Amino acid sequence: MKISNHPLYKTIIKDAWSYTTGAVLLALLNISMFAVGGSPWGITTAFSNWGSWVFRSLGGEPEKWAFYAANKGNFNALMETSFFTNTQSLQNIGIIFGALLATLFASQFKVKKIKSWRQVLAAVLGGLLMGYGARLSFGCNIGAFFSGIGSFSLHGWVFGIFLLLGAWIGSKLLVRFFMT
Amino acid sequence: MAEYKLDCFGEACPLPLVKTQKKMETMNVGDVIVVEIDHSCAMKNIPDWARAAGHNVDIEEINDGEWEVIIEKTK
Repeated sequence: MKISNHPLYKTIIKDAWSYTTGAVLLALLNISMFAVGGSPWGITTAFSNWGSWVFRSLGGEPEKWAFYAANKGNFNALMETSFFTNTQSLQNIGIIFGALLATLFASQFKVKKIKSWRQVLAAVLGGLLMGYGARLSFGCNIGAFFSGIGSFSLHGWVFGIFLLLGAWIGSKLLVRFFMT
Repeated sequence: MAEYKLDCFGEACPLPLVKTQKKMETMNVGDVIVVEIDHSCAMKNIPDWARAAGHNVDIEEINDGEWEVIIEKTK
């Protein structure tokens, strides 16, 4: 039997897992990450550090910014870790390689063509807004929302309300500008 | 019994779904639409919506990371 016809291959590698399976795995992995690493899962603080490390190497002093100066955890991550010793940076690399492996195993890898320059503009603007918002709220939908609620913190729920509001406005804009 | 093709390659959610819904409104009962997608979420939300609306749905993997969602309008 060809491996691509095997029922286990189809269930585990090829077909998308159910939302429930995903939710349970995310919860278990986040608990493990918290237990082992001391802080729950997050993504975007690492991006701030990547930018700040580059800025420092060019002679800048980001450690004097309130984001670092007023927060000991952020300050230590900036000054005492590097790309290869910073847990969150390594986790982000893991996400990218993990996603690549998963799509290759499922034979679903494709380099998508860019359909319009409007799409590029929207993606860049959206990325900048999300990055800016993630810094203001000390996290993205993972660090602030998922890990926030998992830590029984009120800020996760507040983030969630505005996440829904933003997604609603975003989908209206999407239909308005991309349905032609 | 017309057959329509909807090119949604390179488009992310929720555009393929919204475009399919809009196109189906203009179709007659018995008409078929073939939606071409390369966004794996659309492979879930388009068939989910179409089945809930009571239409006949079929999914075909036509290439690595490319699918055709074939929907027959039933009402």
